Amino acid sequence: MTKYLVKRAGQALLVLWAAFTAAYILLQAMPGDSILIKFQNPELGLSPEQIAKIREYYDAGGYLHTVLGFLHGDFGYSIDTGTPVVERLAEGLPETARLAACAFVLAVLLAVLIAFGSAYSGRLRGLLLAVPSLFVSVPVFWLGILLIQIFSFRLRLVPVIGGTELQQLVLPVLTLAVPISAPIAQVLARGIDQVLTQPFVPVVAAKGASRSWILWRHVARNALPPTLTVAGLVFGELIAGSVVTETVFGRNGIGRLTEQAVNAQDTPVLLAVVVVAATVFVLVNLLVDVLFPVLDPRLAT
Amino acid sequence: MSSFRPAVVTVAMLAAVGLLTSCGGSGAGAQAASDGEPVYGGTLTYLEHQPPTCLYLPAAGFYPNGGVLNQLTDKLTWQNPETLKIEPWIATKWEINEDATEYTFHLRDGVTFSDGTPLDAEAVAANFDVYGRGDDKLKLPPAEFVNNYERSEVVDARTVRFHFSKPSPGFLQGTSVIGAGLVSKKTIGLPYEEQCQLKNVVGSGPFTVAKQVVDKEIDLQARKDYNWAPPSSTHQGRAYLDLIKIIVTPEDNVRVGALTSGQADYVRYVQAYDEATVKNAGFVVKGEPTRGVNNGLYLRPANSILKDIRVRKALQAGTDAKEVVDTLFTDNYPVATSVLSHLAAGYVDLSDKLVHDPDTANKLLDEAGWTRGADGIREKDGVKLRLGVFVAGPQPLSKQTLELVAQQWTKIGVKLEIRPADSGTQAVDIKDAEKTAVNHSMVGRADQDVIKSQFHTENRDVILSDDKKLDQLLEEESALADETKRNEKVAEIQRYVIDQGYVIPLFEEPQVYGIAPYVHGAAFEAVGRPSFYSVWLSK
Amino acid sequence: MRWLSWAVIALVVLWAAVPSLFTGYDPLDGVPAEKLQGPSAAHLFGTDAVGRDLFARVVHGSVHSLSGALAAVGVGLVLGTLLGLIAGSVRGVVDEIVMRVMDVLLSVPGLLLALTVIILLGPGTVNVAIAVGVGSVASFARLARAEVVRVRRTDYVEAAFGSGGTFAGVLRRHVLPNSLGPVVALAALQFGVAILAISTLGFLGYGAEPPTPEWGLLIAEGRNYLATSWWLTTLPGAVVVAVVLAAGRISKEIR
Repeated sequence: MTKYLVKRAGQALLVLWAAFTAAYILLQAMPGDSILIKFQNPELGLSPEQIAKIREYYDAGGYLHTVLGFLHGDFGYSIDTGTPVVERLAEGLPETARLAACAFVLAVLLAVLIAFGSAYSGRLRGLLLAVPSLFVSVPVFWLGILLIQIFSFRLRLVPVIGGTELQQLVLPVLTLAVPISAPIAQVLARGIDQVLTQPFVPVVAAKGASRSWILWRHVARNALPPTLTVAGLVFGELIAGSVVTETVFGRNGIGRLTEQAVNAQDTPVLLAVVVVAATVFVLVNLLVDVLFPVLDPRLAT
Repeated sequence: MSSFRPAVVTVAMLAAVGLLTSCGGSGAGAQAASDGEPVYGGTLTYLEHQPPTCLYLPAAGFYPNGGVLNQLTDKLTWQNPETLKIEPWIATKWEINEDATEYTFHLRDGVTFSDGTPLDAEAVAANFDVYGRGDDKLKLPPAEFVNNYERSEVVDARTVRFHFSKPSPGFLQGTSVIGAGLVSKKTIGLPYEEQCQLKNVVGSGPFTVAKQVVDKEIDLQARKDYNWAPPSSTHQGRAYLDLIKIIVTPEDNVRVGALTSGQADYVRYVQAYDEATVKNAGFVVKGEPTRGVNNGLYLRPANSILKDIRVRKALQAGTDAKEVVDTLFTDNYPVATSVLSHLAAGYVDLSDKLVHDPDTANKLLDEAGWTRGADGIREKDGVKLRLGVFVAGPQPLSKQTLELVAQQWTKIGVKLEIRPADSGTQAVDIKDAEKTAVNHSMVGRADQDVIKSQFHTENRDVILSDDKKLDQLLEEESALADETKRNEKVAEIQRYVIDQGYVIPLFEEPQVYGIAPYVHGAAFEAVGRPSFYSVWLSK
Repeated sequence: MRWLSWAVIALVVLWAAVPSLFTGYDPLDGVPAEKLQGPSAAHLFGTDAVGRDLFARVVHGSVHSLSGALAAVGVGLVLGTLLGLIAGSVRGVVDEIVMRVMDVLLSVPGLLLALTVIILLGPGTVNVAIAVGVGSVASFARLARAEVVRVRRTDYVEAAFGSGGTFAGVLRRHVLPNSLGPVVALAALQFGVAILAISTLGFLGYGAEPPTPEWGLLIAEGRNYLATSWWLTTLPGAVVVAVVLAAGRISKEIR
């Protein structure tokens, strides 16, 4: 087990380093650069010589320098805003973490609702089972804009500007949760089907156990491992979804930071974002891999 | 020479007439300047379209920057937006010598920056030394509103004199623009990248920065001891509002929806198609003119196709600006009748030169040797008549405008290739006349020099000019001390750039704001940036 | 229900192949005086801000959107399957290296990857397709590898090797056909995902060059008119949802 863990951790580090290096090389190859984008604006009236001087000021100093900086937690300066990248990450990470965590919880709730609902609903079953497919077929930005128009502007139920922290979370969380709930619901529904077709079900039922009891007890055990795997994969989607959601709702998280950094080709910020995203991805999958044998005794043996 | 000049009055009258005509559609009746007694206190939520970029003051021309800096800084003089007359502010009076090479300003007493340091002659001199000459060591570029600047002279603590190498008649107006906002000596001594950051901007204005979330929100709080508004303002003392929350909201429909559903009080950049929505909800739409170089397509003579004047003239004749305005815009966007707005200083009506005439366009292109290919697009020596243009992010409905123009040009056999505004390639290609043959832009400023800002090779140089004569004309204009002669020169330049086919003026670009009915005292500087000093709320 | 999915796909393919059969309007040339008209008999989907017929734009746009999505899937399918096949067949160090590279690809969010690729290649329909496709390479590679590993363990492949078949021969004749089913199902699913991804890129400002009537761009640009002209974003949106749903259904059937 320890050997397995060490090996997985080593692989994770390797993936991180490779992601960083690949991103570094790609970002260097981009046409134009953030300095030009920001400072060539005619409103600023800078001469090419002055731009060259500013470029010197921001020069990060090559690959090795950057790697060492990252290892020390020094991610350099954002060229677009002139602030340290660490500051921007510190601002954005908690926002995005909160959004993503709430969205994930809501997605799981939605998934459970859909999956168990379909197990009970009889005639409506087909309809309910079609819901996840519909959920993943709607562009996220479109859903967000629609939700804002309906719930905030027409019905005036929740504000998108001002309002409390909680109010500001409601619509973004819903927007992000809907597409993510779909794959989880599908896996759960499959798990329920498997349980209900197993030979022990009629036996237990004959002993007087209710259908819900059977579902809760056995599905929880049988459907959890695959759900967990999906959850690991879904995490990447949470990050991508937050780019769109935060842009639509004007939230100040990592997603919006990414969108702005891409727009401004703000290399230091993009590098940091790639490293953060890769770290989270690697950690989540490592966690899933470690938890898997614990949850599913069949795999441990 | 005093600040009263006959030409100024002429300009003012012209402007007044213009204001009357342009405000027709902006629901001017709905906005009462002050309903009853102003109330102190309250928070104003203001939604801004884009985040501010760099807050070095001469860069304040960019509207998101100007919206913030206008509240943080005061200027030497105040340009009355209604009369366009220059009035006292931090300078109580001034003298200008005969040929406009020497300006002496007498400063108001007791004005302080928000860091407590005095706003005195030395501070003013330090500001204008940078705005006039730039500072190479600190990487600070000179400001485009100061021409021919030589040096400053601190006469005494409250008197400062500026010397110019050549006449600089535009300087007085230049001291009133947002970019000439005065900052503390400490701020002006910082290198460029640090002056860019909001936290380093220390001014003497009615508001100070309370909180900033980069690219998202800026909170401004009233300065309690502020007591130096322009003397002509009826409101003196501290600002009425306690707090302004400036929230960056890029989505157009969110800004407008938030306003009409009561989540915001004041929004910038209401798109033309949303004006009716805002008005019908009982809100006020304000279209403020920008009085400068019009929104238009600027044709680059350095391009291998556009170097032929016949092609440029053909494109001019083949463009129907009226159709663009009728289709996409509202009464707040008057059809252009020259390269300058009809409210701009020195404007002449050249609408007879700007008639939509596809027949002439076709004839000119035929003459120039461009013949129609099988696909309807003209070609010559195997080269297609294709011209590239970038969608201009800051311009309203730039993409739709370009699509419509492209549709018009198709009829004369020209293909306009529209590229999305992707900043990476754009930053490189926009300076390349081959790749970017056409530039979609405008610039606002209420002085004759605005045309120089747009066209001179040392300024914005939107057409990447290789025309020595144009540069010379512009330099002559910026150094003419006599107002009438200066206006004549501006008229000559307008004719020249249109005759040369350097520009296809489309419309006079306004700044359009949506304002809640309970917001009073909304005011704007001469080119449409909001001032929140006298705003108060009755909700 | 099954025929409906196929009917939707067939219809949009027909739109792409012979657009003139479905609409007489020009998708690029409008009548400015007829701007922003709601859906009617004359204009099924209404008209846009410069007076172009929206239905004509959706029909003519199908070729851009479908080919874009197909190209995206193609990139992922060909590159991913190839890498997966190699990894699964050769095993050993090659397998280890290829799959770690795929891990790296998976670790960077697809959208970020796509954005980076677009900036590198520049905007344009083809480049957007490649950018989206690159994001799906890893999924295809993982799946293909898993399938190959599964098929290789089956008796008849072992037997084929045993009876002296060359490596490439066995791969082509036995491994490839037998592992294709799930890969094709994934391709159908990715097709829908690609259409969504392309529209998201359009929303973020990295879409096709205007005035190309690409679906994603239509939805993205129409959104600003939601309060005044609902049809501009809703109707193209409904078309996209229908196509993506159909692709998902078909993917399930194949699986």
